[in-house]
Amino acid sequence: MGFLMDGLDSEAYDRAYTDRQLVARILGYFRPQGPKMLVVALAVVLTSLVDTGVPIVISRSLDRLQLDPAAAGLLGLGGFVMLLGAAAWALNAARQWLSAEAVGDVVLQMREDAFDAVMQRDLSFYDAFASGKVVSRVNSDTHAFSQVITLTIDLLSRLLLIVLLIAYLFVVSARLTLILLVLAPLIVLAALSFRAIARTTITASRRISASVSAHIQETISGIGVAKAFRREQSIFAEFLEVNEQSFLVTRRTRFVYSSIFPVLNILAGIGTAALVYFGGLTVRAGDLSAGQWFLFIQGLALFWFPLTSIASFWSQFQIGLAAGERVFALIDAEPRVVQTGAAPLPALRGEIEFEGVWFHYDERAGGKETGSQGDQEMTDEVPNSPPPTPNSPPWVLRDFNLHIRAGETLALVGHTGSGKSSIGKLIARFYEFQGGRLTIDGHDIRAIDLAGYRARLGIVTQSPFLFDGTVLENIRYGRPEASDAEVAQVARAVGGGDWIASLPLGLATEVGERGGGLSMGQRQIVALARVLLQDPAIVILDEATASIDPLTETLIQEGLDVVLEHRTAIVIAHRLSTVRHADRIIVLRQGAIIEQGSHGELLAGGGHYAELYNTYFRHQSLEYIERAPLLA
Amino acid sequence: MPGVTEFSVQGARRYDHRSALRWIISHIGRYKLFALLTLGCYTLAWLVYARAPVVIGQAAQEIIRPTSPSGLLTVALTVLGLLLTDGLMMLVGSMSGEHVASKLAADAREELYISLLGKSQAFHDRQRVGDIMARATDDVNQLSSMVTPGASLSFEMIMGLVVPLVYIGLLRAELLAVPLAFVVSYIILVRRYMRVLNPISRSQRDQFGRLNADLEETIAGIEVVKASAQEPFERRKYRASARQLRDYFVQQGHVEARYLPLLVYGFALGLLLLHALLLYQRGQIGVAEVIGAVGLMNLLRFPTFISVFSFSMLQLGIASAERILQIIRSDTGIDENAGGYAQPLAGAIAFEGVSFGYDITERSNVETFERSNVLTDISFTAQPGQTIAIVGQTGSGKSALTQLVNRTYDASAGRVLIDGVDVRAWSLQSLRSQIAKIEQDVFLFSRTIGENIAFGAPDASQAQIEQAARDAQAHDFIVSFPDGYQTMVGERGVMLSGGQRQRIALARAFLNSPRILILDDSTSAIDSATEDQIQRAIRQAQQGRTTLLITHRLAQIRWADQILVLDQGRLVASGTHDQLLRTSAHYRRIFARYDVDLPPLEIEDCGLQIADVAS
Repeated sequence: MGFLMDGLDSEAYDRAYTDRQLVARILGYFRPQGPKMLVVALAVVLTSLVDTGVPIVISRSLDRLQLDPAAAGLLGLGGFVMLLGAAAWALNAARQWLSAEAVGDVVLQMREDAFDAVMQRDLSFYDAFASGKVVSRVNSDTHAFSQVITLTIDLLSRLLLIVLLIAYLFVVSARLTLILLVLAPLIVLAALSFRAIARTTITASRRISASVSAHIQETISGIGVAKAFRREQSIFAEFLEVNEQSFLVTRRTRFVYSSIFPVLNILAGIGTAALVYFGGLTVRAGDLSAGQWFLFIQGLALFWFPLTSIASFWSQFQIGLAAGERVFALIDAEPRVVQTGAAPLPALRGEIEFEGVWFHYDERAGGKETGSQGDQEMTDEVPNSPPPTPNSPPWVLRDFNLHIRAGETLALVGHTGSGKSSIGKLIARFYEFQGGRLTIDGHDIRAIDLAGYRARLGIVTQSPFLFDGTVLENIRYGRPEASDAEVAQVARAVGGGDWIASLPLGLATEVGERGGGLSMGQRQIVALARVLLQDPAIVILDEATASIDPLTETLIQEGLDVVLEHRTAIVIAHRLSTVRHADRIIVLRQGAIIEQGSHGELLAGGGHYAELYNTYFRHQSLEYIERAPLLA
Repeated sequence: MPGVTEFSVQGARRYDHRSALRWIISHIGRYKLFALLTLGCYTLAWLVYARAPVVIGQAAQEIIRPTSPSGLLTVALTVLGLLLTDGLMMLVGSMSGEHVASKLAADAREELYISLLGKSQAFHDRQRVGDIMARATDDVNQLSSMVTPGASLSFEMIMGLVVPLVYIGLLRAELLAVPLAFVVSYIILVRRYMRVLNPISRSQRDQFGRLNADLEETIAGIEVVKASAQEPFERRKYRASARQLRDYFVQQGHVEARYLPLLVYGFALGLLLLHALLLYQRGQIGVAEVIGAVGLMNLLRFPTFISVFSFSMLQLGIASAERILQIIRSDTGIDENAGGYAQPLAGAIAFEGVSFGYDITERSNVETFERSNVLTDISFTAQPGQTIAIVGQTGSGKSALTQLVNRTYDASAGRVLIDGVDVRAWSLQSLRSQIAKIEQDVFLFSRTIGENIAFGAPDASQAQIEQAARDAQAHDFIVSFPDGYQTMVGERGVMLSGGQRQRIALARAFLNSPRILILDDSTSAIDSATEDQIQRAIRQAQQGRTTLLITHRLAQIRWADQILVLDQGRLVASGTHDQLLRTSAHYRRIFARYDVDLPPLEIEDCGLQIADVAS
């Protein structure tokens, strides 16, 4: 099945299901559809019977007529064929009608389950898996799975038709049936070997079309450079080469595909000729009637086409099953953040305390901890208290203690990987920690009502996310019950009046997909207003490292001042102005607090903070700007 | 082809661009013989294939009443001969059709590619690469599928209807009654079926797209969703959308279940049998004709099955051809002006009352933005060798302003002068070759770093390349890679940071030593040491040439010879740092955050309150 498995990317949360488990799961989804599926099954059987009936009736009528050309009841025979045709159509319609409903409902149920499963996952899941892949599991794999059902029903009806026909023919003439039976495996074999050839050519063909795409993509992306330096001719020469390659490979693939049917037709032709001759001899010997002879010839035409599709069934079936397996794996993966209680919090003050917290990220979001990348240098520093898990994962926070007062503005600084972002994520309860305690206003974060808590939590990230809709809708997202006036008020509070005036339609302006219709500064202001409307007691701010033009930067900083005022603020700091104005700076190294104090105190101390300052903040200072010409 | 292209190939074939269909035909016309061979083979194949049931009927006659001892064998061999010929003809016809289809794809792609190389930069700035890719791959493939199986199956379908009908008529004209009635009612029913089905399947496709887009959005914004505890809202939204999709799916299933042509075929088969038997009973036809007619009627099953599929392939192919043609046809806008002013450039830039707006028809998908000027009434002058910093928020027109200098676009009002000469009077080649532009997202080709630096000067020596890299502060990090200048860039090579890419682009520009440098410098330096290097590289670049700098670096803005402050396309302030601190509230606001004493504001500029600054 080599290439068929290509592109079926496996993810860390994938698990292997035994066939039995898989069948049980699938049946579970179909149980509510029981009555419908029963009717569908009945219709499949009856359709096959009727379809077999038509050629038999035709052959019978030929014989009857031959024996007695004046026989009555001709009308009846013709009418009977019509009746059978109508019955076949009606049964087929019933089957398609009901199976569409059953399959539609099953897929809907799977999608809902998959969506719920995704929503329950904590952020480590979203960190680990690209959104496109998750979307494709929830929406496309469920669809691909549904094909299995339709495919199976189809296959069953075809198999049944062939079996019934062969059984009947066998009773009529065992010798002639053998000719058919010899032909059948030949057809299946031919179809299968074509698939094998096609598989290799299609792999080559995919590879070449990928390289054509890559060439065009690259040269068109870089067309500006190519034009500026007048290099179009050499680029075109390269294109001609890949394009010719692609032509040759594509043509080969197409040749293989288009020769399948003529070759199968030739096989069927040989079979037909053989039936005509040997069947004719049998008739002459008196062992067969002319009508029955014609039945055999019709029979061949009736079942050679279904035979070819049986050849392709298995691989398509596998693809569908694999899709089902992927969906089940997504649904079955266990959520990592688990609340032990849901105690409602009274008015939130915003006091936060870390008490001996141990935390590390899962390497595999699916659950199994591998712990293979234990950082030697770090494990040396692990203090005596036993880590909560026996193996040594790369701890981000080790026995971490920090008390944050209500209303305090706290800046976290440190190198990448020092644990500063993790602190914010734990406070938001986006991840589960492995040991110790984290309390909010003295309540254990694991036992509080998470939805109520998060409603009073404001999170500001470097790249604000906006939903497709108006500015007003986006600001209101966190508090759907807020009035238009309230929204307008926070919008003004954050960005000033002229900000709203600069939008083409004011607050009713559409932000575009992912906020693409707004400038970066405008998007930030919308996100800040959204947070302010929630009136959070705690604000977590992950400061931008990305470059913003100085005017926008100023606008955002002014907005932030409004949002952070009188609230507990935890800032993952990248801006000099933030650390300078923070109530307290926490200096982190390898998940531990090594210094704390104000900007002035710490700088004067000449410790790790001074080093960080020289590495990250120096170039943001006014002194640096004023002395820039001296650099060269 | 309208307009003037910037690239063309000697002796390239010209195709008919008047309509999609003519275009396809002019492409296929290159392979007339192969196309005719396909049609010929298919016609012959159907003539012999549909002959088989007739001969089988004769075989029946022969079985019942033998005419000669070897009669049966002759008839059986005839059947074999007919079906073998059919198979061979189909094989040859298909191969030749596939050849045409593959050639068509390659030719169309080549034509598209040549036209893309010939389009102006203005065109490429507007066109998303993803969109072009879709046309060069999916649409081109669709185009070849239109030939085979689209057109070839359609032809087979016609043959599959006509030939059996003719043969039935030859058996006995009266027998045609039922099959003819069937074909007519079939055509009517299929048309009606498509009319009902098409909108439903379109709705289903659209709804699936919406479901995907919505879920994608929810997942991309999951932090916001979770942080605002809005999971129930998102769940309701998803469920409603998924249920809608289920409803369309079921609706389509119901329509497909009621596919009437199948019922009509069942009736027709019964009626034909009845008709044939009646004629037989009256002695008007023999067994051979009865069996032949039934066998021919069986053949009509094939065209009824494939017609929907083959027609949709044709339709899709035409639609793809239109999309490809749209690109090929689109006007490139700016002409080369090859005979225009061509002199060594000194570097003086002057804008005189310049206004500019993008051609809105090209971006009609962004409906919220009305046709408005991106730049309005801009005037300033830059002396040769000066550094001009352009400051403003996203969308304030910074990039547009620089695009007018190298004539990526033309101003809609006012004049842009380089060395006192209107850019429209310059030879485009001469103008652009003396102006270098380094974009915000520096593009590097998947080649070695050395080749990228020497891209515009293929003859540059290694020493020259290294000197350029040194000037751009890129040498040190390049040699730190194991392969040095031979390091591959891109997917299979090393991933470079924005700052490193920028310095490689600077080195690339240094090798060409342009007189005007446009630098869109929006990369950020995370650490101060990198910042030092970038500052040095840019300072080096500014030496002896006019530099237009779009930058976020205050250290660059602070020391520019002139700073232009843009706000929504208008020049709201200009001057040196010291002047602006005194004259522009906009500009002061930036420095107000630095806890320093600023000189008093002398003039208040548009709309901004002093109170804003104080707060």
